[in-house]
Amino acid sequence: MRLLLVEDEEDIQGFLRHSLEEAGYEVDIAADAKTAESLAIENVFDILIVDLGLPDLDGISLILRLRQLGVGAPVLILSARRSVDDRVRGLEQGGDDYLTKPFALAELLARLRNLLKRNIPSAGEPTRLKVLDLELDLLRREATRSGRVLQLSPQEFVLLEYLCRNAGRVVTRSMILDHVWGMRIEPDTNVVDVHIYRLRGKVDGEGQQPLIKTLRGMGYVLKDR
Amino acid sequence: MSSKTGKPIMRSAAWRISLLATLAFACGTMLVFVFLHRFVAEDIQRRSDAWLSGEIDVLRDVAERTPKDALYGAVVGEVAELASKEVPYKIRSDDSPNDTVFFLQTGEDGAIKLWVGAGNGEVNLKAIKAAKILPDRPNDLSVSGFGIPYRVASIPVDDGSRIYLGLSERDQMRVLRNLRLRFVVMWLVLVLLVFGIVFYTTRRMLSHVRRITEAASRIGRSDLNTRVPTSKKNDEVAHLALTLNRMLDRIESSMHQLHTITDSLAHDLRSPLTAIRGKLEISLSTIQGEQTESIVSAIEELDRLTDFLNKSLDVAEAKADALRLSRSEIDLNELLLSMIALYEPSMSEKGLEIKLRSRGPLKIVADASLIHRMIANLFDNELKHLPAGSTVTINLVLKDEMAALILEDDGPGFAPGVRLHMFERRVKGKESKGHGLGLAFVEAVACAHDGEVTASNRQEGGAHIEVSLPVAPAEAIK
Repeated sequence: MRLLLVEDEEDIQGFLRHSLEEAGYEVDIAADAKTAESLAIENVFDILIVDLGLPDLDGISLILRLRQLGVGAPVLILSARRSVDDRVRGLEQGGDDYLTKPFALAELLARLRNLLKRNIPSAGEPTRLKVLDLELDLLRREATRSGRVLQLSPQEFVLLEYLCRNAGRVVTRSMILDHVWGMRIEPDTNVVDVHIYRLRGKVDGEGQQPLIKTLRGMGYVLKDR
Repeated sequence: MSSKTGKPIMRSAAWRISLLATLAFACGTMLVFVFLHRFVAEDIQRRSDAWLSGEIDVLRDVAERTPKDALYGAVVGEVAELASKEVPYKIRSDDSPNDTVFFLQTGEDGAIKLWVGAGNGEVNLKAIKAAKILPDRPNDLSVSGFGIPYRVASIPVDDGSRIYLGLSERDQMRVLRNLRLRFVVMWLVLVLLVFGIVFYTTRRMLSHVRRITEAASRIGRSDLNTRVPTSKKNDEVAHLALTLNRMLDRIESSMHQLHTITDSLAHDLRSPLTAIRGKLEISLSTIQGEQTESIVSAIEELDRLTDFLNKSLDVAEAKADALRLSRSEIDLNELLLSMIALYEPSMSEKGLEIKLRSRGPLKIVADASLIHRMIANLFDNELKHLPAGSTVTINLVLKDEMAALILEDDGPGFAPGVRLHMFERRVKGKESKGHGLGLAFVEAVACAHDGEVTASNRQEGGAHIEVSLPVAPAEAIK
């Protein structure tokens, strides 16, 4: 996967390159809109990360320009502002996504994966998910662990499904809130944690290997190994 | 131009102004006409009087010169007859013996000596005697049997007899009546025309003012790009529009400046936060052992700082009426249900009970992300401050065309010191662990949506927070 990162802050460039390369992306970096434009024309990228606050041109104008030039790759917009304006909303409806700074790396990677998935025609959704001895029947909305049926509420099932789809990867609290409850909020209470504890109580029976693991400061991960 | 406001035309300012203007015009023209009419009437009378005086002199001459023989009556009668043909203002020239003019000569004894005119002259003589006609100038005389008065001149003749010449005022009255009739018709047409013109122009002008008012009221907190409509004319209304627009320019530019400041502040603070957080995360994934604890707590501190920064900027922008909203339709009922589903486990973990009493679907048009955060804030507040065993009741009702979200609990309520200032920034209870932005943020969001928040302590004990937000237009119609 080839990725173009358009970001002027060197500090952010540095750690993003590091973690993106670690995640398997081949990263090109442009520090301004001009460089980004020439790079995007000369090469074919699978995905772009564009910061809105560029020194020479604002990010939205750059994206619109690239679209005019025929660059069709999905874009993840990085914004320092929380209230997104209508132009960002427009791009979001057009298939792009945005992320507010500061962000968790896990969320950045998840959003990139989502954008790439959207661009690839899916070969039929699976009806079953399997992580180790945990199995989810998506049609019957039923979860079993080592053959034992788990008594889950519909919401807990959605939460577990989200964890399973991201098995082995970190999901943050805000990702869970966004995907399971459809809200971009940052509660300063432990609301998400309580849901996870409850789910863990049902999934990880006595004597079984704990599947749902808390990574402090980052989020949660459903172990797949 | 349409009366979209639904106000009857009769109550519009244009209607009042045109009524007043038309009334003034009608009275003015009527006054002018009255003077004109009087002038014309006097002039007509002067002319008929001049004619009467002239004719009666001629008749006297004829009467004096004509020998008093058998032909006397015929000659004088003929002259009188001729004179009647030259009556001024005579409209009809019919040959029939008319009653326009009469000639009467009385003898020394006062009896009729000679009569020319309609009838036998007895009634006329009677009327003349009764009215005591003055000799030197013509007088009005009403004769019984004739509706219209006569103008009568009299002159003594040498032989002791007296000549009376009467001219009916019918023709001059007809002239005046015609004048009046024509005036009234023309006056009515003019008055209507004036009313129409005044009404049309004032309505046009006022509709421009109304358009300005409508546009100005549409220019809300978040939409400052629009301007009120201007016209090319150089009148007061155009001036008003220009002045308003200039004022809006100034407001927009200061708003823009505020946005630039908050944006650059946000950018300048968020960029290093992003970099620090990223680096901490990378080191967290590479380092094992005891050091992770300090990194984790650093990340958590950083997230708290970010949250504080976000809320501070939101509250600052909202206080300055500068929150940028991107509105969509939200069902508050649905939102509350999923919010409760999210918070319920944490609440029951803490021994709290949460109840929803909702009127069913209730839609508002609002910025979804802000409303989500606002409700989360309210719930967080309850979760943090209520002691175990308390109950939170959430009511969703439609109140005065506003969606009212009422949170009530049976906890300790607000501390007396906090209550007065609880919507101000950095105000929090002594026990509170938050950064004191919660309710300020809630109020900021409500205000940005033209709503309001009230907070009080219930009589039974516990807090009562009420957030009201305007409902979606379709909801208000229901």
